[in-house]
Amino acid sequence: MTSLALPVGNFRTGEARTCDTTGLPVCLHAQRFIKLNAVCAVVALLVGAIGAILLGLTRWPAVHLLPADWYYRVLTLHGINMLIFWIIFLEIAILYFAGTTLLKTRLASTKLAWTSFLLMAVGAVLTNITILQGTADVMMTSYAPLQAHSNFYLGMILFAVGALLGVGNFFACVWIARRDKTYQGSMPLVAFGALAAAIIAVVAILHGAIALVPTWLWSLGLMDAPDAGWYRLLWWGIGHQSQQINVCAMVSTWYLLATLTVGAKPLNQLVCRSAFVLYVLFINIASAHHLLVDPGVSAGWKIWNTSYAMYLAVLASMIHGFTVPAAVEVAQRKKGHDRGLFGWLVKAPWANPGFSAFFLSLIIFGFIGGITGVTLGTQQINIIAHNTLRIPGHFHATVVGGTSLAFMGLCYYVVPLIFRREYAARALCRLQPYLFGIGIVLVSIGMSFAGSYGVPRRHWDVEFSGAPFAKGFDSGAHVMLGLMGIGAVLAFVGLLTFILLTVHAVFLGKRNEGRAMTAW
Amino acid sequence: MSDPKLVDRLERERDTEPGDHKMPGTVVLTALLLLCFVVYYFANWKALADVWHVR
Ligand code: HEM
Ligand SMILES: [Cu+2]
Repeated sequence: MTSLALPVGNFRTGEARTCDTTGLPVCLHAQRFIKLNAVCAVVALLVGAIGAILLGLTRWPAVHLLPADWYYRVLTLHGINMLIFWIIFLEIAILYFAGTTLLKTRLASTKLAWTSFLLMAVGAVLTNITILQGTADVMMTSYAPLQAHSNFYLGMILFAVGALLGVGNFFACVWIARRDKTYQGSMPLVAFGALAAAIIAVVAILHGAIALVPTWLWSLGLMDAPDAGWYRLLWWGIGHQSQQINVCAMVSTWYLLATLTVGAKPLNQLVCRSAFVLYVLFINIASAHHLLVDPGVSAGWKIWNTSYAMYLAVLASMIHGFTVPAAVEVAQRKKGHDRGLFGWLVKAPWANPGFSAFFLSLIIFGFIGGITGVTLGTQQINIIAHNTLRIPGHFHATVVGGTSLAFMGLCYYVVPLIFRREYAARALCRLQPYLFGIGIVLVSIGMSFAGSYGVPRRHWDVEFSGAPFAKGFDSGAHVMLGLMGIGAVLAFVGLLTFILLTVHAVFLGKRNEGRAMTAW
Repeated sequence: MSDPKLVDRLERERDTEPGDHKMPGTVVLTALLLLCFVVYYFANWKALADVWHVR
């Protein structure tokens, strides 16, 4: 196949460049919005990281840092900045990249992109200010009848509408790419995965709107309190489905990083694509696992939704969990790293932070996140795990050790390729994914096993100090909480290292315009 | 970055390859994952059975 040196596609003159490293076309408008969204993502990550260490040091009973009110305030701040702002800002950046560069098309609308970005940024700032003012200690789920100041909901709604417009812009890119026939055959797999994520995002955000708009009106005194059971059902329509967006985005990132770092390519297009379709079709149903002890829904409903339908979405993750490392193995063996069972893995580019972040993400997501997730999602078992620290133990392996770590790996390419600045302190960059990865594994394991001893999540003082009779947890639980605390310190250092390296690279890094990026 | 540009790889992504794909390491990793799952899942049912007696 011939190499394409000039930006082909439907670009207008002066609005695109050819990437000096990959040869891919880059729409300059899309590039601006990739940068803006990525910078906001990293700012949110910083806010969330400060929350993370404060929480880690509060849940570690030997330290017990924050007072009760600030524990819940910071818990809200951490959950929202991490799970929503960091992840979604970066996902919108990924959509702009996948929707333009991979499809060789220009950004559909600059105005829409500005509107989307401004709404998201204003929404995020408004929500954060409201939380820090102490008028929204409702945690990220904001379960009614807990009530926050109306600006909390307003900020979330603005953010969600902004994200929806960004998703719309992506669909428009797909549409004009098809119209102008900018690519042949079917779209590349990474773009296909992004499309799956975008479709789920629409359904998710609609649920969010139905849950949050009435709640906002209620906080303004314009409506009665929404029904608590109704709110929980709808809220998880966004809460769970956004996790599937994260999985889709993470898996797409895995495929992309596998290609960028070891030259792997998908083994079987049909299988990989079908797996993304399974996500779109079945993930909605799996939201039921959040309501397994909820009195408002019937046992039959719970059993159907978590015993059969959920496994079709799990199947999709298992397919990707196989095809991604398999693609790496095949690529590595073709390069001659063919010794024994694991020669390909031993000889992998572990010093390339794009690779190590990607592969650690795969392992953490599969071995810890996947196994705990399927177990916790089993209706009967849920009764001994619900609302214990096992739940955050699980999702710190999926959305943190999995998605967030993969996204960090992606940044090690986005900054040199899109911002066209090089990372400095390369040795530290190489170390960073390990620091963060090992830290978050300890956090996750510590939380999971402390939870198995019965330690609740979202609980300020598991020692129950001042209670009329002594009540507390077994020393085993304390060992596990200590493990979590140590892991939190390590993961925080890893996270801060990433943020400092990235901010430095973006603003002060050596420019690489006109030449290929320095190989990792 | 290794030699061929990404753009070429993405073009070639659609090429079908003959069945010379060998991935025994991945198969072992997957088997290990399933084994871990079985152990953890079983331990959880056991823990449940210990507190929830069926009479
Ligand atoms: C340095 C890394 C991190 C550490 C040490 C950390 C630690 C913690 C701790 C200790 C809690 C409180 C658990 C409880 O008391 O119930 C928590 C909650 C949470 N974390 Fe993290 N976290 C980290 C990164 C992240 C990231 C990157 C995300 C998302 C992408 C995330 C998402 C959440 C969520 C959603 C909650 C639950 C909030 C709630 O219950 O309302 N965390 N984290
Ligand atoms: Cu869920």
